[in-house]
Amino acid sequence: MKMLIKLAYRNVFRYKRRTLITFLTISLGLAMLIITVCLIDGADKQGITNLIDSQVSHFKICRKDYFEKKDDLPLNLTIKEPERIHNLLKNVPAVMESESRIIFNGSLIKGMDELPCQGVAIEPGRDMRILNIRRSLIEGTWLEDDESKVLVGKNLAKDIGLAVGDIITLRLITSSGDEDLTWNALDVEIKGIFDSGNPNVDRQYVMMPLGLARSGLGLGAEATEILVRLKTDARNDRTLTKIQGQIEEALKPDTQGLGAFSWKESAALILAVSKEKRRQNALVILITLFIAAMGIINTMLMAVFERTREIGMLAALGLRKAEIKKLFVLEGSIIGIFGSLVGCILGGLGGWYYETYGFRLASMGESGDKIIGAFAPVKDIFYGDLSFEILVSTFLLGVFISIISSFYPASKATRLNPIEALKHI
Amino acid sequence: MTLVKLDMVSRIYHSKSIDFPALEEVSFSVETGEFISIAGPSGSGKTTLLNIIGCLDALSSGSYVLDSDNIGTRKSNELADIRRFKIGFIFQTFNLIPVMTAFENVEFPLLLTGKMNGPERRATVEEILADVGLKDLMHRRPFEMSGGQQQRVAIARALVKKPRLVLADEPTANLDSRTGKEILDLMLRLNQKTDSTFIFSTHDQMVMDCARRLLKLKDGRIESDQVRR
Repeated sequence: MKMLIKLAYRNVFRYKRRTLITFLTISLGLAMLIITVCLIDGADKQGITNLIDSQVSHFKICRKDYFEKKDDLPLNLTIKEPERIHNLLKNVPAVMESESRIIFNGSLIKGMDELPCQGVAIEPGRDMRILNIRRSLIEGTWLEDDESKVLVGKNLAKDIGLAVGDIITLRLITSSGDEDLTWNALDVEIKGIFDSGNPNVDRQYVMMPLGLARSGLGLGAEATEILVRLKTDARNDRTLTKIQGQIEEALKPDTQGLGAFSWKESAALILAVSKEKRRQNALVILITLFIAAMGIINTMLMAVFERTREIGMLAALGLRKAEIKKLFVLEGSIIGIFGSLVGCILGGLGGWYYETYGFRLASMGESGDKIIGAFAPVKDIFYGDLSFEILVSTFLLGVFISIISSFYPASKATRLNPIEALKHI
Repeated sequence: MTLVKLDMVSRIYHSKSIDFPALEEVSFSVETGEFISIAGPSGSGKTTLLNIIGCLDALSSGSYVLDSDNIGTRKSNELADIRRFKIGFIFQTFNLIPVMTAFENVEFPLLLTGKMNGPERRATVEEILADVGLKDLMHRRPFEMSGGQQQRVAIARALVKKPRLVLADEPTANLDSRTGKEILDLMLRLNQKTDSTFIFSTHDQMVMDCARRLLKLKDGRIESDQVRR
């Protein structure tokens, strides 16, 4: 075996240029694969973080019928006594903070321009412990209770040309679903502009104190939803299910038809898109591996053809068919091992770069934000997520494909008749 | 002692439309230590006969016994083992492994048989390379050597495992006459020294003259079988 390995190793470097091309096909293919997976994982991870930190938090409590129609933002399916719910939630040890909110459809009017937006009424004191909007203020100051001032996202402000201190008209749609359209309008001052990193929030949200929205929408001490922040960052299903059970148990004395919905349920559409994206990514992986496999098969077939007489000689010296097969499989494996190793090093370096310096969506042109934003709630820049598992599994995959790809040419070598092979010119 | 015994051996190649008999009812035997030349014009069946004796080709009919072993009933892997342990080949075009040095080429059959440890193997290879006059060139690769030197390496490779039988297919055909003569002398000397049996095919008169027994083939049949001196 040692002798076959030695012979295989030397044969690999016999046709340097061809080996180099195959080697590069594998290395670059696997490096691209690692970088792609790293970026997709990074976009997903950052997207989920953005979603939890700026939009849905860990849990949302609302009426079950409201959750079913949440895309319509119905204002007639509210939580009537949200403060009682906050008190009940204090009995759940995992809960850090909760906040009442009202979400409604609306639009911003500045002069002749009008842009649709989503009104988000919050409790400023509680919100800053639940979401990151306060930390992401880039201009102006944070909201106070009961003031007629609003915060807008950076992208929305840019789209309609807003600056801190501007007075604008906010149209609040008071009807919902199939009801006749009714609205109210308020003149409000822009108090701050935020840049949360979540394109959905930064392009749509107009945030205001709960009291302002209640008076504008004609609601009492109600809320459409309660956001819940946990003490620990809950991402896996097991933890979420456990805490969901605890919250629902805590609400039992006063359910009001409410349910607790995890961030996964709130972000079902985004997660479905992410799943689809991974399926497409699997196709990219398959194509990459197919190209690498074709490279190896081609190189090995050329080797079998060019070394036909040598194969005959090896048979004459007494090498069994299985040993000749082993020799060619070893050659393919050596190319695969080196190619995969270099691919993992290159991919690792690329992954490290994107993990450290991030991927700027502007590098994809003006529409970069929109392209990536369609798949994950990220914008401007996101960071790769490189794991040791990706490197190891890609390396093993590369070696496995190389070995499998070598079998066909190796079998061809063993099918050669030694006499015919010795006559080969 | 009889090493090779062929009895009514025929080899017929089948193509789409015709059957071509390369060998027809060939019978002869070879004793251990003989130095035999198989001669004949192109297409007379020399190489086919050598391939059959070398266990590379199958018989169409007849029987072949090598070293008391009936070859006709052996399977592919068993034939490979017989070649590995009992037969050494010398080819017209040398057929050395280009990525290996002269030393490694000669060591290769010993690694295949696996009978010797490292130091023993090294000593054996160096001894045989000294015998063929190439000890100083043992770290050269084939492309760094002349045709004659490459053929010497091939001879050393064939003999290093001390095979019962050495088969050489036109071993001097690719060499100039002086080098060819040197190679023949070397083979004769090693034949006497090692007691291996040599069978080689040729249509070169000088080579035929060196042989102690000359087997002439014509149209796949033995035309004459002469023992000299």
